[in-house]
Amino acid sequence: MIQGEAPVATDCQTIQEILTEHGGELERLDGAESQHLEVCPDCREAAAAERALRLIFARAIPPTDPVVEERVLAALRPVRIRRRIVAFLPVAASFLVALVGAVMVGGVPGSGILGLLPEFSTQGWMAFATSVSDWGTAVATGARAAATTLDPALLAGAGLVSIFGLVGVVVTALRWRRVSLWREDR
Amino acid sequence: MAVTGKTTQLADERLVELSLDGDEGAFGLLVRRYQRRLTAFLSQLVGDTELARELSQEAFVRAWSALERFDPKYRFSTWLFRIAHNLGIDQLRRRRLQTTPLYRTDSDGGEVEVVVPDLDKDPLGHLENRALALELRQVIDGLRPEYRELVLLRHFGGLSYQEIADFTEMPLGTVKNKLFRAHSVLRKALTDFL
Repeated sequence: MIQGEAPVATDCQTIQEILTEHGGELERLDGAESQHLEVCPDCREAAAAERALRLIFARAIPPTDPVVEERVLAALRPVRIRRRIVAFLPVAASFLVALVGAVMVGGVPGSGILGLLPEFSTQGWMAFATSVSDWGTAVATGARAAATTLDPALLAGAGLVSIFGLVGVVVTALRWRRVSLWREDR
Repeated sequence: MAVTGKTTQLADERLVELSLDGDEGAFGLLVRRYQRRLTAFLSQLVGDTELARELSQEAFVRAWSALERFDPKYRFSTWLFRIAHNLGIDQLRRRRLQTTPLYRTDSDGGEVEVVVPDLDKDPLGHLENRALALELRQVIDGLRPEYRELVLLRHFGGLSYQEIADFTEMPLGTVKNKLFRAHSVLRKALTDFL
């Protein structure tokens, strides 16, 4: 409701909507709206009521509960472990693809490798390291032999599978690293 | 991430990025930033402070689990509140299925549901002015559902009008109008306390 002869740029509802939105803060009103307020007791009353209402709601919100934050962060830990395991699956799958490709290119190398898996001794680990080294040599030798005997298309396909798998290992490992690097502070 | 004045001012979206990079401190800041308002909002929604704490925790865990699917073109706040809101609504539905309301006969012979107040669970139980708490509880519960939701999001969730518009998928003008009307009801009902 407007009293007096002040210029009215806007109506009461518009003013009161603004006051409602800003908790009765008069600073939010522009020149014309402030002029309106000066001559409109209803809007002034609404502004005061909005300020009081804002205080009531501010008091109605319970204080911060530090227990909730602790509980949330504690609850995230098992989820993080699960997520890390799930994120590792593509790495393992890519590695498998790369291995299948390598095997297709070079045949199954180092047939005795499984038999040389480390026993609980230094000698066992040394034998394992040697066999891994032999395995690399065998792959290279096998690849050279395969190149002369296998269908070139098959060989190329196997090579692509292997490369695809290796790229997959790199990409998924980077993603996995991102997931696994969950630090409290850095 | 060490919490400093600077880091606490980082935008939600930046904190989400840091969280995705494995920074627990960043997600901790998001939790700290929203847990009070989220719990207050859920308390009013489900009418039980302890349950609201549990739902709030669940909402954060779900948000964290789905963080990679969060679309940064939306606001983190509205996304988080939507998760919490859905959890709250599910809880209300489940509770309705599990409980049988008690009724008493009023003076006109009609049936009125008996509400047994539990002060320990009352989300407004911390208010020293019990008369105000009671009046506020009644007026909020008595609001039309479409107004009530907006009032809870605004005053307990602390969302801006734009965030509420995004959350409810209503035009901003409609949100303004509805909240204006809701406030008219609130002001009238709470006259003695204003």
